[in-house]
Order: sequence, then structure tokens, then C-alpha cells
Amino acid sequence: MPAILEARDLTKQFDLGATQVEALRGVSLEVQAGEFLALMGPSGSGKSTLLQLLAGLDRPTSGSVVFEGRDISRLSDDEATKLRRERTGFVFQAFNLIPLLSVIENIGLPFTIAGLDAGRGELRERIRDVISLVELTGKERHRPDQLSQGEQQRVAVARALVTKPSVLFADEPTGNLDYTTGGEILEALWLTAEASAQTIVLVTHDARAAAYADRVLVIGDGRITDEITLGRRQDHSAAPLIARLAQIGL
Amino acid sequence: MGLSRLSARTLTARPLRSLLTILGVALGVGVLSASLTLGAGLEAAINRTVRDLVGNADLRVSAFLERGLSDATVEAIRTMDGVSVAAPIVERRTFLSGVSGTNPGTVTVVGIDPTTYPTVHPLELVGGALLLRADERSAVITEALATAEGYALGSELTVLGAGAPTHLRVVGIVAGSGPIAEAGGRTVFVPIDVARTIFRLTGVTRVDVVLADRTPSQAAADRLAEVITTEPYVLATPADLAAGLRASTADFQATTAWLAAIVLFVGAFLIINTISMTVSERAREVGLLRAAGATRGQIIRFVLVGAAILGVLGSLFGLLVGAGLGALMANSIRALTGFAAQVDPLSAGSLALAFLVGLGVTTAGAMEPAIRASRISPVEALRARFDVPAARRGRLIWLTAVLGFVAVLALLVWPPASGSIGADRAIVVYGVLLVATLATPLVLPPLARIIGLPISLILRLEERLARGSMARDRSRTALTLGALVIGLAMVVALGWTADAARHRATAWLADVVPGDEVLTSIRRVGRTEPAQGELAALPGVRSVSPIATFDLAYHGVRIDAAAIVGADFLSDGRLTFLDGDRATALRALDTGGAAILPEAAARRLDLAVGDSIGVALGDGATLDLRIAGIVSRSLPSGGGEAILVGWPDASGPIGVTGADVFAVRFVPGATPAERAAVETLAATYALEANPLTRIEGAVVDALGRVFGLFDAFSLIALLVAALGIVNTLGMGVLERVRELGVLRAIGMTRRQASRMVVTEAIVLGLAGSVLGILVGLGIGAILLQFSGDLGRSPVLPWGSMALAGVLGISCSIVASYYPSVVAARVSIIRSLQFS
Ligand SMILES: Nc1ncnc2c1ncn2[C@@H]1O[C@H](COP(=O)(O)OP(=O)(O)OP(=O)(O)O)[C@@H](O)[C@H]1O
Ligand SMILES: [Mg+2]
Repeated sequence: MPAILEARDLTKQFDLGATQVEALRGVSLEVQAGEFLALMGPSGSGKSTLLQLLAGLDRPTSGSVVFEGRDISRLSDDEATKLRRERTGFVFQAFNLIPLLSVIENIGLPFTIAGLDAGRGELRERIRDVISLVELTGKERHRPDQLSQGEQQRVAVARALVTKPSVLFADEPTGNLDYTTGGEILEALWLTAEASAQTIVLVTHDARAAAYADRVLVIGDGRITDEITLGRRQDHSAAPLIARLAQIGL
Repeated sequence: MGLSRLSARTLTARPLRSLLTILGVALGVGVLSASLTLGAGLEAAINRTVRDLVGNADLRVSAFLERGLSDATVEAIRTMDGVSVAAPIVERRTFLSGVSGTNPGTVTVVGIDPTTYPTVHPLELVGGALLLRADERSAVITEALATAEGYALGSELTVLGAGAPTHLRVVGIVAGSGPIAEAGGRTVFVPIDVARTIFRLTGVTRVDVVLADRTPSQAAADRLAEVITTEPYVLATPADLAAGLRASTADFQATTAWLAAIVLFVGAFLIINTISMTVSERAREVGLLRAAGATRGQIIRFVLVGAAILGVLGSLFGLLVGAGLGALMANSIRALTGFAAQVDPLSAGSLALAFLVGLGVTTAGAMEPAIRASRISPVEALRARFDVPAARRGRLIWLTAVLGFVAVLALLVWPPASGSIGADRAIVVYGVLLVATLATPLVLPPLARIIGLPISLILRLEERLARGSMARDRSRTALTLGALVIGLAMVVALGWTADAARHRATAWLADVVPGDEVLTSIRRVGRTEPAQGELAALPGVRSVSPIATFDLAYHGVRIDAAAIVGADFLSDGRLTFLDGDRATALRALDTGGAAILPEAAARRLDLAVGDSIGVALGDGATLDLRIAGIVSRSLPSGGGEAILVGWPDASGPIGVTGADVFAVRFVPGATPAERAAVETLAATYALEANPLTRIEGAVVDALGRVFGLFDAFSLIALLVAALGIVNTLGMGVLERVRELGVLRAIGMTRRQASRMVVTEAIVLGLAGSVLGILVGLGIGAILLQFSGDLGRSPVLPWGSMALAGVLGISCSIVASYYPSVVAARVSIIRSLQFS
């Protein structure tokens, strides 16, 4: 089976006037359809940069990203926008929602942006489904500031899923949350991976979050330093992963 | 680093916003300093003109009646106690014969007493000598006249008078345009006896009096009243003349002053907004400063220093703007009143005042944000996500305070010349604007919803987000919108008053002039002269009606009067009678002993139909005229409207020697050739032909020039409002960078992002236009009510309303250009890194 997402020798440099930061120094990886992949590593190792390149939010300095058989590393802004709207979903660490819009409006936003009527027919069904998936039924009319942070992140997950993206990208989606609330988000992500074979790329520095993934890539100083395959499991205890990480000295 | 250094850096962190604010302050200060320097310039011009007019004279005694002051009266003045010099003067306008055809050859002939005149009016000669004897056939002319007509010392002038032309030799030339301002530089000085001969006069036009040292002019005036008992006269002091001149520009000055106040008012909105935005943005820094031990006082100073920097820069720049505007206004006033108001851009007092007002308004505008900043608690500021507590009522109260401050300032710098003229109007208008601004936050949400409806059909998401963005900071939106509303309201209100003034002028003429063409003469055309008969005999002419304009004395005041042929007005259907029977009244004029009053005069003098007025004649006699009718509008005259009398009274007891106006009515379908023939014949009698349409055109032109300037002021207010819109939309984009990033991440295109900002601008523009038009109509109605025009002009100012709508929307769209570009350029990655 061909990979749904593939990175080939990606590098990324940031110009800071006099100096340069090499955020990525040659990363290659493959993500299979239906796979739940976690990117782990210490702060500043280049996880977010890699995710942004994989999702077509930014262009690599060199190398390429192939998404569903198509090189997306040199897309025009309009093409990239279309890709984001139709093929990918995002969950960020915080501030995912438009404060002015209600839960249901925030979730329907990708459709509204595309000029579709999110209040009718199949789209309405889909919005209802994702709301029940993230267990927010009954809170459709609330505004973001009337929700807890965990609920807000669940709305963000629901919105990322509602377009049925090929790949869902999440950058530290639990970074701002406490232990249990973070667990709820991860459960929700895992559930979609399990139930609808959703491909997920998750960036985290938290082993407990990474333990939900099928496979973990460890990033260090702009390179992939290790790969840990966990496989699909019902049990998400972090102990095995922590043990493996300890083995490789993290 | 000192706190003030930090303030300055805060301003440079947002260069565009700082620049816009500086521009806003500059425009306000510029308009203000222009209107102040103009006031000073006008005052100087008035003083100069008065000095030119009266020279060293302390009193001017002018004849009331056509035949002038008698020798006995002149003698009585000369020998009166306390009079040091009494210079009798004859002044008449006439023609020079033999001057080039294109020039009408009109001149003002001034007959002077060679011994007394030079002490009252020192004449500066550039060649030749002064007149010597009272009877020599010599003339002294102005340099301007000499240049225009090619005269030199020794040239012969031929002056047309009452009899045969008089030949005079030029013996002297006076520098420049000479002292007679109304003559337009074309003055001929002749010995007084020669002038009397030329015009067959027995009296003199006026006597200029220099009082002996320490004789108060009031005492002299009282004594004059005892001495001159047989002839009506008018007494004027230089102060009276200056007051009269000032009155002619007072309205204009008052209007420019309150428009300046309005521009400043709008500028204040911009300042309040900008400083608040900066405070909101810097809230976290302020919190850190507080946490580090800064006192509230220090925080207030921190904010005020920033405002003061903006104020100083804006005010300095404003003085430059003001210099340019001042020159523009001086041109307007010259076109309007003929005054050569020199705007001296270095009038230190005005500059300093404008500068201080600019700085004061800026600082006052910054007060509320400064206090709000000082209330930011260190704990609040350090929270993960900071929202500046929305200040609603508090800010409105401050707004009122600042605007009250501006109003007080405006009253302080109110042009002293205009006194209370227009002050009541200005205060009411200002009040309406203030109330309208304060009401904006209440009206805006429902209005925006209604306006958004049609937009949301096409741009649903953009409309929704735009409306949300407007609701984010209500008072900011209200101030932005308020500025726009005020600018547009001024456009509508001024447009309406201009329409009404135009309408009034043209309707007035059509209502009262019994003709299609008005022929005017600078000399009286006697009733027995052939001109009228020959004109009436031309083909295509239905009637020629003679009219004489003159003054009457009634209870010691001068009133404008006109002699008319009642039958002509009756058959032509002119004049709208409010009281008295039209036919009876007009026939009564032709019989004599009757008068018709314009409504304004009837009200002023408290007279009704059937009353009698006794007008003063020479030799202490009075002529009783019975009021036969009251009309809504009468013939226009210098001071307003004339009371109408019949020819029997005018040429009889009153002593009017002839007509100075002929109203010519053509038969329907008179050919252009027939009309031209009238003008040709009129020219041979030295009558100037003015078709009514041309008079109307001239009136409309004159109004256009004045209102053009006022429109320029509203446009400046609108420009300031547009700067405010750029600021607010820009701030909205900055505040929403993260939201925009999220939207872009989930598939919003750059176009959609910029459309969101433009939609916000359109909603603002539409709301501003609707409110601006409504408020403008309100203000227009008030202004028209003050001038008594409300309801007289039949329609709403559709043109101005449409203009306001177009301006409002286009201003907003243009203003949204830059913020929308910024919104489109928001980088997803960067916006995510913000925190
Ligand atoms: N826009 C940028 N300009 C300059 N340097 C950047 C930029 N974005 C990232 N970097 C640098 O690139 C490196 C990798 O950053 P990145 O955000 O990918 O790290 P990360 O692994 O996501 O860290 P964290 O766990 O703290 O989020 C860092 O050294 C960072 O300073
Ligand atoms: Mg990161």
C-alpha cells in the first residue's frame, strides 16, 4: 500500500538576519493511510516545523512533501488553501476557535468558508455526528468562552474531523490541558483512528499522549533520531513507551 | 530607560497608527489655525479699510436725502464747539467720456475742499500737486486710473454729469488705488464747487469732522443733534464703520469657526480611539510595569506622554496645513466681500492658540485611556489571555467631557467680531452632533443587522464576522462611526442650506421683479428722459417699469425704500400679499400717500395694514405714508428688503430725481434678436443689462463660492473620519491575527480574509451614511429654522444626500484597503506563534 503522506529529505532554515537557524536537517518519513503517528522530541527540536511542512502550511528549504501522490511542497497559496480546506484538518495547542461563533458554527466553519450551507442536509448530519463523537451534544449553541478549555479543544477536534480529511494534524492539542482533560482529547482522537481509520499526525513532547499512537518518531535537533513502533492497542498506558524511550536515553 | 522613552517607543511600534493620528490632529489644528489667522487678517483689513475711509476724521456726517446737506448745515457743523476741522465732500459715480469701449468708464468723482480735505485725508502724491482752489477746473486722479486709461499729468478728462460734459486737466496723481475703497481704484478728485457744478448739486454728500483734542465723540454727536435740526443726517464714527464692515464678514467667520470646531471634534474621536487602542495593546506591558512597582501616577504619565508627543507633532504639522488653508479662505472671503484680507501666516497669537488647543484636545482625549490604563491590575495583566475590561459608560462620560472641553475652547476662540451671531446656532448644532454620537452605540447593533441582511445573502460568513468584529469594542466602533456620521451630516446639512439659499434667492427674484431683464444705471434717469419710452417701443418688449432705490429716514433709522409703478406690478402679477388687497394696495401707490411693507420690516417696525409711518423730509417736515399692504418678499436692497412707495411720493416730496433700475418684460416668444436689441439700446443710455437668469447665476455663483469653502471643511472632517476608519479596521485586524490564522488554516482564502475587512468597512460606511444623512437632515432643519427657511424650500436635498451616501461608502472602502491587505497577508504559522 502506498504511503498517504511522504517526506523526502526535508530541510528548513530560518533566516534571522545575520544568523540562520537550521530547524530541520534532512527528514524523510512515510505515513500510511489509517495510521496514527506521533512526533516526539524536546522543545526546539523542530517538531512543529516538520508538522507545518507536512501539512503544506509552509515551504521547505529543500526536499519535498508528497501528499496523496502529489508534491505539495511548492504549491501556490490558492492551491494550498484548497488543500487545507478539503484534504487536511488541524488542531492547535490553543485559540482554535472563533470567539464570536457558537460551537455549531465553529464546527461548520470549513463548510461556510467553502460557501456551503452547513445548516442543511448531509453536512448537518456530519456536524451532528462529530459533535456526538466529541461528546458535546447539548452544547451546540454555546460560545467558546462558555466552555471549559477541554471542551474548546474537543470542538477544535470536531471541526478538524468534520470535513473527513485525509490526514488530521495536531500540534500539542493537549499542551494547555490538565491530565484528565488531555486524556479526553486523546481518547477522542484515538476513537476516530480506530472507528473510521482516520490518519493522524500528532506532535507532542508528552510520552503519555504519544502512547496513543501506532508509531512514534523521535525528533532531535532537526533530525529523526529514533522510531518506536507500538502497534494498534486498546490499552494506552505509557509505560512501554517510557521504557523504550529510557532505553534510547530520553 | 525612562518611562517617557518607553512611551515614545510605543508610538513607533505602530507607525501607521501614530501617523494617522498625527494627521488627524494636524487637520483639526490646521482648520482651527486657518480660521483664527483669517479672523486676525480680516480684523487688520477692516482697520485698514476704515482708516482709508475716514482718514483722521472722528465723525462722519452723511446726508440722508438725495440733495445732500445744505450749506447752512455744513456751516453749523464747522462752527460747532469742539470741531477742529469739518471737510465737506461731494461723492458721485459717473462716466468718463472717450475711454476705451470695453471698459464702462465708470469713476467715482470726489469733490473736495482743497483747504480742509488734506488734513482729514492725507493724500500721497506720486506726481504733480494737490488741488489748490475750490473752483479750478483741475483733477487729481489715482495712479490705478491713470494706468488703466493711459492718463498722465496734463491729460484732459471729460466727465459726464447732469449737463454738458466737463473738461478737467489732470494736475496730480495719488498713489495706488486712493482712499475710496468702493471706487475700485477709479477715483477723480475735483474741487468741491466744480463737483457741484458737474452734478448740479446744492448740497454736499457728507462732512468729515476732526474733533478738537479731548472732545468725546459722544458729546459731539449730542451737540450735532442740537445744531442740525432741519435736515435728516446719518452719523458714523470709525468704530461704527468698522462694526458695519465686521458684520458683513461675521456670518462667514462664525461659520468657519464652528466648522473648525467640528473638525477638531472629529479629530478628538481619532485621538481617543488611538490612545485607547494603544492602551489595550500595551495592557500586558502596563501590567508588568505595575508589577515591577510603577505607580498609577506613573502609568498615567506614561500614557499622557505618548499622547503629548502625538499632539505636539500633529499640532506643529497642523500649523503648516493651516497656513495653506488660510490662504484659501482669504481668497474665498475676497471673492465674497471684496475685502483684501491678508492672512499673515506668522500671527503668533493665533498660531500659539491653535497649537495649544491641538495639544489640549489631544491630552484631554488621552485622559480616559490613561486612567483606564492606571486601573489595569498587575494580576490581570499576567493572565494567559488578556482582555481589556470593556469600558462602555465610562468612556462615553469621558467623551462627553472631552467634547464639552472642545466646545468651551470653541467658545473661547469664537471670533469676537461676530459677537453672538451664529453662536446659538453653533451650540445647537454641536449639541445635536454630541447627542447623535452618544446615541451611536445604541443604534449601531440593530442598524448593522439590518444593513448586513442583504450583504449576508452573498457574503454570509464575511458579514457575520465583520459584524462580530464591530461588536468587539463598541465604543471604538461608535467613535469611528461617530466621526463618519459627523462628516457626512455636515455634507448633508450644508448642502441643504446651500440649496435653500439658492432656492430662496432665485424664488425671491422671480417673485418680486416684474421683468425678464433688469437694466441698472449708476446715475438717476429722470422720468422725462427718453430712455424708458424708447425701450418700451422696441418690438418684443411688453413693458418697461421704472424703479428707484433710495433711503428713507423713519424714527431716526435708515430704511431701504424703492419707488415702483404699482400698475406694472399689478398687471405682471408680482409680489405675494400677506395682508391688504393686492389691487387696492398697488393702485394706492400710484395715487400716492401709501407704502407696501415687506413682512420682515413690518415685523421689525411692528406695523400693520392701515398704520401710518411718518418719514423725515428736509426742513424738519415729515411725509405720512399709510401702509396699504404687506408682502412676503419685497425688492432686494443693500440692507435686506425695500419698503415700496409710489412714484408720486418719490419724485414729489421725497425728491428722488429719477429711476436707477428698469425692469423689462418681454412678450412671450420674444426672439433673441429682439432681446439683443434691448441690450444695445440700453447701452447707448449707459444702462447695464442683466437678464434675470444672469443675476440668478451670479447669486448662485457667489453662494457656490462660500459653500464651496464650507464643503471643503466637511470634506476635511470626512478625511479625518476616514483616517479613523483605517485605524479601527487596522486595529481589528491586528486583534484578530490569531483568528485569521485559524480561519486561513481551515481553508479561508486570502481573498475571503480581505473581503471580511472590506465587508466590515461597507457595513460601517452604510451605517455611517444612513445615520449621517439622518443627522444631517436634522441639523439642516435646525439651521433652516434659524434662518426662517424651513418649509420654504420645497424638497429634501436629494443631491447632497446621495453625495453623502456615496462619500460614506467610498471613504470606508478606500480606508479599508490597507487593513484588508494586512488581513490577506496574515501568515498562518506566524499567527500561531503569537502568544
Ligand atoms: N519563524 C521562525 N523563525 C526563526 N526561527 C524559527 C521559526 N520557527 C521556528 N524556529 C526555530 O526552529 C527551531 C524549531 O522550532 P519548532 O517550533 O519546530 O520546535 P518544536 O520542536 O515545535 O518546539 P516546542 O516543543 O517548544 O514547540 C527552533 O530553534 C526555533 O527557534
Ligand atoms: Mg512546537
